[in-house]
Amino acid sequence: MRKILGRALISCFIILSSVGAQADLLQERILLTFIPNIQFAPFYVGIANGHFARQGFEVTLEHLQEPDVLDLVAAGQADFGIVSGEQVILARSKGRDVVYVYEWFQEYPVGIVMVGDNGAGDLENLTDMIVGIPGRFGASYSGLTTLLQSAGLSEDDIELNEIGFNAPDVFCLGAVDAAVVYVNNEPLQIRDRLAAGDCGDVRGITVVSVASQVDLVSNGLIVSADLAGRDPDKVQRLVSGFNSALKATISNPANAYLASGTFVETLPGEPEFLALLRELAAEQAAFLATNPTREQIAQSRSENFALLAGAPESDDLTQYEVLLRTIELWDADTLGHSDLSSWEAMSDTLRLMGLLSDDVPDLGASFSNQFVTGIRE
Amino acid sequence: MAEVGEKIDAKPGSRSSRNALLQLRQLSPLLSLVALLLLWQLITSAQIYPAFIVPPPAAVGEAFIEALQSGLLLKHLGVTLEEMFFGLILGLGIGLSIGYAIAKAPMLEYTLSPVIVAFQSTPIVAYAPLLVIWFGSGPTSKIVTTAVIVFFPSLVNTIVAVRAVSPNLRDLMTSLNATPWQSFRQLELPSALPVVLAGLKTSVTLAVIGAVVGEFVTQGSGLGYLVTSARNQYDTPLVIVTVLTMTAIALSLYSFVVLLEWRWLAWRRRSKR
Amino acid sequence: MKLSLRELVVDFKTPDAGRLPALGPISLEISPGEFLCIVGPSGCGKSTLIRTLAGLQPATSGSVAGDDLPITGPLSTLAIMFQDANLMPWRTVIDNIALPLELAGVDKARRHKAVNELLPQLHLQDFALSYPAELSGGMAQRVALGRVIVQRPRALLLDEPFGALDAMTREKISLELLDLWREHRQTVVMVTHDINEAVLMADRVVVMSSRPGQLVADIAIGLERPRAINMIYRETFLRLVREARAAIDLPDS
Repeated sequence: MRKILGRALISCFIILSSVGAQADLLQERILLTFIPNIQFAPFYVGIANGHFARQGFEVTLEHLQEPDVLDLVAAGQADFGIVSGEQVILARSKGRDVVYVYEWFQEYPVGIVMVGDNGAGDLENLTDMIVGIPGRFGASYSGLTTLLQSAGLSEDDIELNEIGFNAPDVFCLGAVDAAVVYVNNEPLQIRDRLAAGDCGDVRGITVVSVASQVDLVSNGLIVSADLAGRDPDKVQRLVSGFNSALKATISNPANAYLASGTFVETLPGEPEFLALLRELAAEQAAFLATNPTREQIAQSRSENFALLAGAPESDDLTQYEVLLRTIELWDADTLGHSDLSSWEAMSDTLRLMGLLSDDVPDLGASFSNQFVTGIRE
Repeated sequence: MAEVGEKIDAKPGSRSSRNALLQLRQLSPLLSLVALLLLWQLITSAQIYPAFIVPPPAAVGEAFIEALQSGLLLKHLGVTLEEMFFGLILGLGIGLSIGYAIAKAPMLEYTLSPVIVAFQSTPIVAYAPLLVIWFGSGPTSKIVTTAVIVFFPSLVNTIVAVRAVSPNLRDLMTSLNATPWQSFRQLELPSALPVVLAGLKTSVTLAVIGAVVGEFVTQGSGLGYLVTSARNQYDTPLVIVTVLTMTAIALSLYSFVVLLEWRWLAWRRRSKR
Repeated sequence: MKLSLRELVVDFKTPDAGRLPALGPISLEISPGEFLCIVGPSGCGKSTLIRTLAGLQPATSGSVAGDDLPITGPLSTLAIMFQDANLMPWRTVIDNIALPLELAGVDKARRHKAVNELLPQLHLQDFALSYPAELSGGMAQRVALGRVIVQRPRALLLDEPFGALDAMTREKISLELLDLWREHRQTVVMVTHDINEAVLMADRVVVMSSRPGQLVADIAIGLERPRAINMIYRETFLRLVREARAAIDLPDS
């Protein structure tokens, strides 16, 4: 009897202590935009593989409209959010004191997909084309404006059609000659359709990315200026955690894809594909232990993909490729670092769009590299 | 008319007190508005929320004047009003005529009710994007969303109103050899009017929702677009100005129907005394 | 107008497609200018008879005729007055009374003239522009009466016209009705459940049995005209009332 009681007490103690360990973690929600998607893989890796926990956070994710993310962070209702740089400039010009502390996307993800074989993609060809765009708002519209500007064109030179987020369908129907897209996503879908002969009269496509023309500031982590001043340590720890998760995602996409499965309901997750990925992820982990360079890691990503591409065609493969393409938009020598010039370019674009008045906002205060410099592994 | 009206009014001693009461009644809605404004001012003065979340009334006033002067507000207001106008005509037209037909032929109700109920129980916000695909991103889709949302209350009220026409009065009209048109014009119409007008009050306020839902889905123009666009530009005062403009439309249309009641249903007012 | 009922039978359809006999067979002749009252237990088909005469209820078999012409639908020479006043609440007194003229296409000036001439007789001259809801029950019934009179019908069909009124008002309006009738001498068929009222007003009282309603008595009222309220104390009056009451088959009461 006493023995049983003792065991019960011990197990109670174990349970309590493990709860205690959990309770040490700080509950923190990060506000994201759009919907759960493979492109948010670093967050899933961060949660699933303990990158946030090692910095003392238990992170939950929420998806909201971009202006809502920004306002909630600015108002102190949430500590961290992901928005694009243009939102930071616009919102700061309207009294929201937020700071961009980590540049997640090093390359602006927007581009334009045009009818025409590779090499025919000259932006001047856009003249008089019917161009599809989700709507006259957000990153797509800013991206298009920048592209037209860099080609010496304006919106009057093209015929702009608002088509929602349906670029692959509309493009393959032939209703538009070109479409503003996210370079890491829709072009892959259109290419798959081309390969399947399911894209109408279209025979070939060219993609021109905004990043190939101008360096615009893109998606990154924001906090309120108040939090940055009041509790810089907290910001520092979250930045460090995210940086570590992003790095892990970039260097082991197979593992990242596996980690994303529980967060993204729309991933097919076919058992065969996942089994293959598990092998790859384990091999990659061993490879990473040899301290490879950035170029070697990039090389390994393509090699691994070549291995997978031999497998039968599947939606998993397309989603995995989206991840690889997106990684290219993240990867840099110094992750998270932001350049003033990319902010200036974005602010010029916004002014061109009539969204920003002429008085120059203090772009230097829009972002800070302080936390990138202070990253603790 | 005046003499008899006077005669009935003239209950000694009650007139002045009734007038005072009437004045108070006219003022009381204004009082609640003033209270609301005060509360708003209080919240902003106490800085419970930052100004970009709840801007002070003065900032909203400024944004209103600015939007008025730049023509931005009137332009989008015009678009929304036009969509609402045609949507109301379409929705009311179909609602009233099908409602009348159903009231006259109960068989029709058995046939149509599953479709109508299904139509009504499906939230318009959910299928508004489909309407845009079917009717295009121009004004037509918004006219359709307005018509759809306006249709049901006018339908139901028409059915209820026409069915409620007194069977004894129908007998009377028959005994007087009234033609179908006379029965409609002299009996059904005036008898149904109070209920139909009550339904119209619901319909006109819903019409604003219909148009704005349509405008939310397809960006481009109208007050629904202006709200989204102001939101995307972090212009909270303009968001509030636009929302209040929608409120103003709904209130004006509602008041217009009240005015119609006042004119057309004078007998009810007299009868209530 | 002479009204005749020949072997009239009226059945109602029941929900289960059966037939419910409501009236008849019944044969009855009402002379021009005669004031006839019908009494009988409730549910005996009195109202059905009136509605059939008014052309609102088709005969199942047999026939009804006005001046030997079969009645198959409402006639403009035959006016019906219902149990309740049955006024249009959105019309003023004057417009309620004028309704039959309006439907007949009489212009506004002429119909108002006609109604204004009637109003004093109905004691409604002060309420021409009132709405029904502003009237007492008796006044509303006078308006309904006016709406019947204004048609200058050759026969009046009255279906318990004062049933909803209190006894005092009822007596008063009954006598007013007699005054109006003396002036125009239409044929009147009036349904009532009040035997005193029937005897006081009618030239002839017919008694109907319970459903399906058939004639069980036909009593000529020999009282002189004009009738007055004090006649109810006369021996002859009481005898006639007793006779009618005896004919009414009221096993329940």
